[in-house]
This record gives sequence, C-alpha cells and structure tokens, in this order.
Amino acid sequence: MRFSNISNDFNSYQQLITFYEENKDEFFLNIQLDINNFFCANVSAVLGAILDKLILNANNIHFRSIDDKIKEILKKNDFLSFYGYNSEVDIHNTTIKYKKILPTDGKYFVNYIEKELIDSNLSILPRMSKGIKEGIIEAIYEVFVNAQIHSQTKYIYSCGQFFPGSNELFFTLVDTGISIKNCVNKRFKSNLTSVQAIKWALVDRNTTKEHITGGIGLALLKDFIKNNRGLMQIISNDGYYSLDDGREVYKLFSGQFPGTVVTIKFKTDDKHHYSLKNEKDINFENIF
Amino acid sequence: MKIYFEMEKKTITISVYNIIADKTAMDVDQGQKIFERIDKAFKESLYIDVSFQNIELITTAFLNTAFGQLYRDHKEDFIREHLKTSNLTNSGMIKLKKVVETAKLYYKDPKALEQSIKDILED
Repeated sequence: MRFSNISNDFNSYQQLITFYEENKDEFFLNIQLDINNFFCANVSAVLGAILDKLILNANNIHFRSIDDKIKEILKKNDFLSFYGYNSEVDIHNTTIKYKKILPTDGKYFVNYIEKELIDSNLSILPRMSKGIKEGIIEAIYEVFVNAQIHSQTKYIYSCGQFFPGSNELFFTLVDTGISIKNCVNKRFKSNLTSVQAIKWALVDRNTTKEHITGGIGLALLKDFIKNNRGLMQIISNDGYYSLDDGREVYKLFSGQFPGTVVTIKFKTDDKHHYSLKNEKDINFENIF
Repeated sequence: MKIYFEMEKKTITISVYNIIADKTAMDVDQGQKIFERIDKAFKESLYIDVSFQNIELITTAFLNTAFGQLYRDHKEDFIREHLKTSNLTNSGMIKLKKVVETAKLYYKDPKALEQSIKDILED
C-alpha cells in the first residue's frame, strides 16, 4: 500500500480504512507499506491498531520504503520499534511516544502521560498556562477512561505530536473494540447508524452505562475544545465526526474502521482561564 | 439549672489520596472504592468529609462512580446534610456539580435515556 499525505483529516482516515478493508481478509501475506509523503506522527496510533488486526491473521508487515524524515520521527516516537527498527532519541522533544496499553492498566497510562506531558522536557511546557495544561491532561484521561469502560478492546493505542511552530498538540487514542454504534445499539436494542450513534454519544448526559450515571466526559471535552479553538475527531466504524474551530461535521466513510479513534488537537498557546470558568455559577457550600 | 443535650455529630474524613494511593483520580475502580466507603458510613448515619487533599486531576468517570451512585440509594436531603468535600480543585468542583445534577435527573427517571435514542432517530 502506498500512502499519500496522511494528516488529521477525513481523506487521510479514508486511506487508512481502505488499506484495512483491502487486507482484512488476507492471511499469511507479506503486506508492503510505502510512506513517502507527509505522515502526521499521532496517526501512528491508528496505523498501529490496523496493523495489529492484520498481524492477528498471521500476515507479515514490511515497510518497503519510508521517507528519511518520516522514518526519523517514527523511530523517535517508538512506532517503528514495533516493526524491527531501533528507537531514536528525540532531542527536540516534540514527539509523544506511541504506546499499546491494556485497558485495565490505567495506572500505566497515567504514568505515561505524566512522563510525556508533565515531567518531560517537551518543548511546549514552559509556554502553557497551568489551566490549559490541566485541561489537556484531564481531557486525555476522559477519552482513555471512555475506551476503558465501553470499548471491550484488547489494547488502547495512543500517540501524539507537538508542532512548535503552530503551537498545536495532537493526541490520538484508538481502540479496536465494539465501536460506539454497537455499544449503543446493544444497550438500547436500537438500530442507529454510526453517525447517529456518535451524535447520541456527544449529547450531554447520554450514556450506555446501566444503573449508574455518565455521559458527561465527552460533552465537557467538546466544550473544552470549543473554548480552546482546537479540533476533535471521532471515527467509529464508518462514522466520522469533527469539531474544528467550533464547526461540526458528520460524514460517512466507504468501509469500516474496526473500532474507534479519537483525535484531539489542542492549541497550547491558549490564554483562557479554564479553572475559573463557571466558578461564579457554583454554590460551593451546597454542591450536593 | 438548665441542662442542654447536644447531639454529637460523628464526622469522619475519607481521604481520597489514602484510599486510591494516587494523585490522579481517574477510573471507575478508584471511584467504586470511595463510593463503598461513603455508602457504608451513610448506613451508620455518619457525617462525612471527603478530602481531596493531594489529588491533582479528576475525571467525571471517577466522580460518577464515587458520588453519582449515592443518589440511587440515598435521599437528596440526607446526602446534602451528611456529605461535604474539602480541598477539591475548582475544575473538580465544576465536574462534581455536573455529576450531581446528572445523577439527580437520572435517578428520577432512568428510562428517559430511551427517549434520547428516539430523539436522535427523529433528528
């Protein structure tokens, strides 16, 4: 498969879904990949999840050709270490490592985020306000916990990339579990499409959990991204949702992603005072 | 001579940090541990201070499990009288408020979520 530009947009995800669809029923194949144009490093989480599905069918993965610059980044973020390459040190501190995490291993995920985003020398840290830093980390945790609770996935895949020039931090979390549509339809014995199910999941207080409340995390995340003028994308089966600079788009892919992807872009030079937002509306004495 | 009898308020402190042994209150399992402590103390009619000292980051999933469920088993007035929190960050407070409002609505009418599916289909 020869990928053209892979960034964080509908067409890039479509390429990845097409690649998956073309190979998902193959067994014992040598699958060749060529990545010679732009490849946004956070999308490693999506490619890694797809490749794992193909490896399950005893296929071999071979990177036939990779542009030198892309190879350097994918070695620095550890993605290529999973495919026979050595890791490389990131002296510019712009990568956030590619990881495969067991959903039960929340503590490991917290340590990973602390290492990559809090304690690391990531070059964004000095420029971020405390409020935005906490907001970003809490947002990432909300997405992880969502996958942990609902997806029934074997692994959660994560990766990020920081672009210092534009003050943008991309972070992607992927699961190869039952997808939002199947989760909602199973719970309510309904027949929603992928797009309808994503739409439903984004409504404040909607949850598939039984006998317990939920459904706040994604709605809060949406508000946070709106205020931050960032980007949020959800890909689940053939459904696509994006919230980009306040504008919402729903679309259908040709083919299905085997699970759910959430990509978030944060503007790291944001000066909002998040921790104080809505504070005046809350009666702290009588919260219950 | 006047004798005053005063009911002693038995207040216990539940330290989130002590129970989850982490400065991040993130997942459902951690929330469940806090819920069980509060629930047990409520059954003894104790007054509870849930302390978030040394907790830096909190998710809504944690708060839903720790506090949301209380509204299923206990009356709103009882909870308001017997429960308080301390050292909760502002963002944690905003999330907790949202969790509490959601729980009150949800347990009043758990079937309302079925309607939300119909709403999406009609959208």
